[in-house]
Amino acid sequence: MSVFGESAHHDVAAYALGVLDLEDVQGFELHLAACAQCRVELEELRELPGLLDEVKSESHRTRQ
Amino acid sequence: MCLVRRQLDTRFERLDPDDEPDRDDRLIRELYEEFGGPLLRQVRQTTGNDLQWAEDVVQETLLRAWRNAPKLTWERGLLWAWLLTVSRRIVIDGRRRRGVRPREVEPPEADSIAVPDTADRTLASIVVAEALRGLSPDHREVIEQTYLRDRTVNEAAEILGIPPGTVKSRLYYALRALRAVLKERGVAN
Repeated sequence: MSVFGESAHHDVAAYALGVLDLEDVQGFELHLAACAQCRVELEELRELPGLLDEVKSESHRTRQ
Repeated sequence: MCLVRRQLDTRFERLDPDDEPDRDDRLIRELYEEFGGPLLRQVRQTTGNDLQWAEDVVQETLLRAWRNAPKLTWERGLLWAWLLTVSRRIVIDGRRRRGVRPREVEPPEADSIAVPDTADRTLASIVVAEALRGLSPDHREVIEQTYLRDRTVNEAAEILGIPPGTVKSRLYYALRALRAVLKERGVAN
């Protein structure tokens, strides 16, 4: 992943969901430190994991 | 500037590090005090209220934060996002080690969007399931194959037979679209 360029911006979604592979996390965090747009987007996407948990099936989530 | 770093800087500038043998203990304790409770609540949602497991995950996450403290130069919100990301990975890896789920035999096309049975059904779950079904098939697929199945981007890319970069950009547009719908329906802010 490049620190600049469109692809770096797109990583924010995977990062927000916690599905970005660990080897990419550090690179994205470097990008994040330099990219105000991604910080805003990360904030905007923050609710989504919790909302998606509402529809996670039992085989993937053993919440009682 | 990172919270931990900043805290360290402000809290320890008064002290000569060499005179502070408990420095590491203090940092760990401070991480626990600030993030332990909220993180435990988040993690318990993904460990199925297995408290012991959740506590282990929180401990491991905060240990990693402590080890990475010099590199974690983010403000509070970003540190929190980092902690969530790392804790989620630890849960996923733990689940894999425990062999809880037969991931490999699961066909990728199986529906992983579940609307809970009546007792558990919430308005949010109904709205979110509907919103997901309203997305384009490509968009719905990447959300299903990553988050909803606890897979990373690279794992999903392999299963779907597309490059990881494509998974990431699809996921990006998928989440933007999903959020727009949820916002319109008053479920997301």
